[in-house]
Amino acid sequence: MSEQQAEVTTDYEPRIVAFLCKWCSSAGSDLAGVSRIQYPSNATPITVPCTGSISPNYILSALKKGADGVLVSGCHIGDCHYIEGNFLARRKIHLVKELLGFVGIEQDRFRMSWVSAAEGAKYSQVIKDFVEDLRPLGPQTKVKAGRS
Amino acid sequence: MINLQDMRDTARNMLAKNEVRGVIGYRRSTNGMLAEPVVITKPEQADELIWDPTCFHNLSLYLVEDRKFLAHTRAKADLPIAIIAKGCDARSTVVLMQENYFERKDVYIIGVSCEGTGVLDERKLVKKGIRATNSAFDGDDFVFTTEQGEQRIPAREVMADRCLECRECFPKEHNIVLGEDKTGRQLDAPFTALKRFEELDPAARWEFWDHQFERCIRCFACRSVCPMCYCDECIVDSTSFPVTGQTTADEKANRVKWIERSATRAENMTYHMTRVLHLAGRCIDCNECERVCPVNIPLRLLNNKMEREAREQFGYEPGASIGGPSLTASFLDTDPGKFIR
Amino acid sequence: MEKILAKNKLDDWVAALSDWQVSAPIMEDDIWSYKASKGKVQLEHSNTVQPPKGFSFPQREVFFSFEQIKGQPPRLTPIQPKAARHAVFGVRPCDGAGAVRMDTVFNDQFQDNYYQARRSNVAYVGLACNKPQGINCFCQSVGGSPVSSQGMDVLMTDLGDRYYVAAVTETGKALMTAGGKVFGEPSADDKKKLKQTHADALAQPQRAINNVDAVPAKLKASFDSPLWEELARACIGCGACTFLCPTCHCFDINDENTSSSPLRGNRVRTWDNCQFPDFTMHTSGHNPRENQGARLRQRVNHKFQYFHENFGMSQCTGCGRCITECSVGVDIVNVVNKVTEHVG
Repeated sequence: MSEQQAEVTTDYEPRIVAFLCKWCSSAGSDLAGVSRIQYPSNATPITVPCTGSISPNYILSALKKGADGVLVSGCHIGDCHYIEGNFLARRKIHLVKELLGFVGIEQDRFRMSWVSAAEGAKYSQVIKDFVEDLRPLGPQTKVKAGRS
Repeated sequence: MINLQDMRDTARNMLAKNEVRGVIGYRRSTNGMLAEPVVITKPEQADELIWDPTCFHNLSLYLVEDRKFLAHTRAKADLPIAIIAKGCDARSTVVLMQENYFERKDVYIIGVSCEGTGVLDERKLVKKGIRATNSAFDGDDFVFTTEQGEQRIPAREVMADRCLECRECFPKEHNIVLGEDKTGRQLDAPFTALKRFEELDPAARWEFWDHQFERCIRCFACRSVCPMCYCDECIVDSTSFPVTGQTTADEKANRVKWIERSATRAENMTYHMTRVLHLAGRCIDCNECERVCPVNIPLRLLNNKMEREAREQFGYEPGASIGGPSLTASFLDTDPGKFIR
Repeated sequence: MEKILAKNKLDDWVAALSDWQVSAPIMEDDIWSYKASKGKVQLEHSNTVQPPKGFSFPQREVFFSFEQIKGQPPRLTPIQPKAARHAVFGVRPCDGAGAVRMDTVFNDQFQDNYYQARRSNVAYVGLACNKPQGINCFCQSVGGSPVSSQGMDVLMTDLGDRYYVAAVTETGKALMTAGGKVFGEPSADDKKKLKQTHADALAQPQRAINNVDAVPAKLKASFDSPLWEELARACIGCGACTFLCPTCHCFDINDENTSSSPLRGNRVRTWDNCQFPDFTMHTSGHNPRENQGARLRQRVNHKFQYFHENFGMSQCTGCGRCITECSVGVDIVNVVNKVTEHVG
């Protein structure tokens, strides 16, 4: 434990895999960029057609490959390009979050947000908050492959 | 009390009158006192059928196998196939029909009510140190034949956990049914085992699952026995992806390998969690996965967790209706969303 | 070397094996499995759910790691298993016989270094079965015996309050010598009792394969029997039977990437399983064993015919695990008997 703590306080930078919906959050992150809003560079964005298309497998796989946190972000409820994709995502993601917590993986490692194409500032805030919340948790080793 | 003769007569008559292609039921195995699944196709085989506390298998799996066999041989089935179905088996049959795996007319459900008891958990019997050569239902008891003679044990002491918490031991969906409807006979409140486990703090829960996932030997008995695990391509078998003459070497080499062959903790965990999520809203708690696990991984807890979430958060009951929507392909405006930022 | 060990001195013997890792059957998660003994060994187990084959043939073995950096030749780093000397207590005779089969396979025309590196450091301290461990034991049908020392380094026999301990190999002698004074000399009475115990054990009823000498030829004649498919009708195609078998040794070799740029990973051997639908799947998509009947035939024929043709013995050692752990009643004794009784 002490080893992990030491790592946390020194130069640990959480790595986030962010699954962003093509129509809203991905555009939102672009807006944050072109607006020159400063925010941490910890998130690796992966654009998906819709949050509804995200299989729980993506999330587990990201954790297995060593992500410290996973973000799923899409259009606000009612704004889905495919009408109901984010409604379906909301259900599915809820189950994933509950299951991760159930087996004892920190629920803070997994986050969902609604960020529209106009919300560059919100996107930067979501990432900032996520990084700050991940920092005290230290590196994710539970699901990461190669631990044993 | 279920009259075995009724069951045999039903099967015999239907086969004799050519109303069904076969009857999926139970017969005595050669492994001690246990029952084994069997598909009988001739009227004279009806006397092989049995009904006792070791009939724990969820036979709806064989409806899936039957479908796969028909598809593989390109055979057409004019007649339905009959299945002996307990409450849980009937519910999983309903889920299969809800998912259009087959139609209602393709299957003839001979329901059997579990009445006062449920089925046996063999491990509990072994723990009690009882070596039996035969078992039978009798009211609220199981009666075992042992070397020391007949032994009567209250069913709840050796009954499978799922049966203790069963909310629907009577097969609602059926063509005919044997036995009485004793729904509400539930001996433990639903999710009793789950609640007990959830009293542990997250660190203790992690310690528990870390240990369990590490023990998995990836024999895939849990997947193979599950009627809901009917996918032709499973993410754990990289080579079961459809490959045709047109598939290039590049495509084959670059298949996403979601889960490696190595039975290490991370891979095992990814496999089990993927499976649990895939069963959310589909698992009807027959608990076959936990029963067949050679190393006793308590998979039921995981499936129960999803079942309870579905019920409490989304008001969803798996296996309730053939025409209803499925859990993850439907939504309500009132679904919880507070966790989203 | 033959000695007597009082039951309460067993832990002293284990303690004396200071330069050995000791494993023994422990009841954990409601099953018997081989675990590090932590100084305490109690041999009250029925057979373990998993055989001891994993000590020499683990489910996952890394052969080498690889790295490919652009512009440089690929770099391979061989990995040899570093195995400590390991004494495994409480091995039942069927599993000892299993070790002999495994040794035969991995040392036949090609010596498997990875297997050998582990195997040469493992010693089996066996325990004879005074009575069958379960209802599905049939070791005597396949050339074994409940008191056999085949594959063992030491064989112990339970004589009530004491064990009769006999060294079988030089390693076994070393293990016993390390114990020194914890052992006593067997009296004439002990020897008499041993003889009686073994005779009683051999007389215990077991399940039986009929006319076992004729089985290989009869199986050969029944390759196309329609019975295979019928007997496998209930089979769900899981791999419990073979993963729990003390002699199943099929494996698969895969590259497991740990990084994509630069490309890094391991070449890994993992157990494979003839009951899985993708076992013999060809690249073309064709599968010569396309149904569960063909897969059951492969499992049974490999044990009772092919292995016999190659090595002159049955590969099955009669432990009964595949019967006990099968969730749908597929029973190898029943299968062999049914298939062979239909041939002349």
